[in-house]
Amino acid sequence: MSVAGAGGFGLGRSRPRRATERVSRKVARNVGVPLLSMVLLLAVWQGIVVVFHVAPYIAPRPRAAILAVTQNWSTLWPLVLGTIRETVYGFIIGAALGLSLGVIMAKVPVLQRLVYPVLVLSQAVPIIALAAPLVLILGFSVTPKVVIVAWIVFFPVTVNVLDGLSHVDQDLLNLARVYGAPRWRTFLQIEIPATATPLFSGLKIGATYAVTGAIIGELAASDGSSLALYQEHANSNLNTAAVYGTTMLMTAIGISWFLLVVGAEVYATPWQRRTVARRSWRRVRDEIDA
Amino acid sequence: MSPALLELRDVSKVFGDTVALAPTTLSIEDGSFVAIVGPSGCGKSTMFNVIAGLLAPDGGEVRLRDQPVTGATGHVGYMLQKDLLVPWRTVEDNITMAKRLTGRVTGSDRAEARRVARAYGLGEFLRHYPSALSGGMRQRVAFMRTLVTHQSLLLLDEPFGALDAQTRLEMQQWLLQVWKDTERTVLFITHDVDESIFLSDRVLVMSPRPGRVVADFTNTLARPRTVETLTEPAFVEMKGRIMHLLHGGAS
Repeated sequence: MSVAGAGGFGLGRSRPRRATERVSRKVARNVGVPLLSMVLLLAVWQGIVVVFHVAPYIAPRPRAAILAVTQNWSTLWPLVLGTIRETVYGFIIGAALGLSLGVIMAKVPVLQRLVYPVLVLSQAVPIIALAAPLVLILGFSVTPKVVIVAWIVFFPVTVNVLDGLSHVDQDLLNLARVYGAPRWRTFLQIEIPATATPLFSGLKIGATYAVTGAIIGELAASDGSSLALYQEHANSNLNTAAVYGTTMLMTAIGISWFLLVVGAEVYATPWQRRTVARRSWRRVRDEIDA
Repeated sequence: MSPALLELRDVSKVFGDTVALAPTTLSIEDGSFVAIVGPSGCGKSTMFNVIAGLLAPDGGEVRLRDQPVTGATGHVGYMLQKDLLVPWRTVEDNITMAKRLTGRVTGSDRAEARRVARAYGLGEFLRHYPSALSGGMRQRVAFMRTLVTHQSLLLLDEPFGALDAQTRLEMQQWLLQVWKDTERTVLFITHDVDESIFLSDRVLVMSPRPGRVVADFTNTLARPRTVETLTEPAFVEMKGRIMHLLHGGAS
C-alpha cells in the first residue's frame, strides 16, 4: 500500500527539544549571540574607519554617530515617534489587507487568477515612483506614508497565506468532513491555524521593509518635520555623524518592529518550541471543577 | 440472524476506466471486529470513503442501523495511517477535536478526554503537544479522538501501518482491550495478514481489477488473543488460506 502517506510518521525531530533548558543558556543563545553580532558590526565599522583613515565627513566613527543621536535626542524623539506611527499603522493595515486577500484568493480560484497579476504588478512598480503621485492625491499628511507601508507589507503576507492555505493536509480536511464539520468551522479550526507559520513568515518580511516604506513616504512628502527630512538637512550641512546616526535610528526602528513581530509569533505559536502547553485559564477552571 | 449495524447493497465506484469497487454487498454485525485485507488497488480505501460519505458511490446504497446514509457524513469514526493530529493543539484538545469542529467543547467533553487518556496510558501527556510524542503514542491519541466521537462504527484504515513491528504488536493488543471495553464495531483495513487474523472476528479478502471482496472468513480463534495465538494451528491454517488467495491465485 501507499507508504507515501506515512509522512514523517514515527520519526522524531532531528534535534530533540529538551523540556527544561537552563534559562541562562537560553537567554545567552537567543539574546547574547545576536547582540554580539551587532557589536561585531560596530567593531568592523570602527576598524575600517581607523585603518583606512576615512575622513569624518565621509564616514564618522560609530561613537560620533551615536553621540549625534543622543545629544539631539529631544529633537529626534518626536520624529522617531512619527516614523513609528507611520510604520505601525501601515503595517497593521497592510497585514490585515494581506491576510484578507490571501484568504479570499485561496477560497475563490477565479478571483485568484484575476487578482494575482495585479498584485505582482503592484510590487513591480518602483515604490519611489509611486510616492510622489500618492502625495499629490492624499496630501501632506500621515496618510500617504501609511499607504506606502501597507503597499509594501500586504504582498508577502498575501503570498504566504495563499501558499499556506493551499498546502493544508487534504486528509485532515477530509477528516473534518467525516465528522460532519461545517466549512466555516473547518476553516477556523484547521485552515487558519495551519497557516500560522507561513503567515508569520510573511509578516516578518513585511516588518523588515515597513520602515523603508515609511521613510520613502517621508522623503516624498517633504512637509513639516520627519526623520527623513532631518537626515536630508544633516546631509546638506555636511553633518555626516548625524546622517549615520539617523540611519542607525531608522534601522533600530525596523529591527524593533521585526522583534515585536517575532515576539508575537513566539506567543501565538507555542507549539513550535514547547513540548507542554502553557497553563491556561480554562485548565485552571477545569481543575477547580474536578 | 443477528442485527446488522452496517449494510452495503450493491455499492460500486468507478474512477475513469478503473472499477475501483465492483458492486459489493456486505453486512456488518453490531459489535464485531471485521478485518479487510488485500493488495493495493483492491478498493479497500474506496469502500471506506464511500461508507464515511467522502465519496458518493456510482451505484448502490449504504445503510447504518437500517437508515440510508449514502453520501452523508457525520456517522462514523475514521482513522488513517497518518495520525492527523493538529500540531497546535495539546493531546487533550486533539482528543476533543471532533466536538470542536461540530459544536462547542464542554467541560464534560474535556473531562471525558482526560478520563479516556488516563485509562489508556496517556494521562501524563494531556498537556503535551503532539510533536513531543512517539509514533505509537500519537496513534493512540488519534484513536482516542476517534473513540470520543461516540460513533458505533469505527473505520480504521491501516492505523498501525507505519509503526515498527514491536510497537505494532503492542498497539494491536491495546486496541483489542479498548474494543472490548467500549463495545464498538470496527472495520479494520490492513495489508498485513497476521494483523487481520489476530484482531478480527471475520476477515474479508479483497482483490483488485476490479476491486471486490473475494472471500469472507469467519475467525473463531479464542479471545483474549496473545502472542501465542500467532502460532496456533488454526491461525496458521487460516493464514495459509488467505495467503493463497492473495498471492497464489494471482500467479
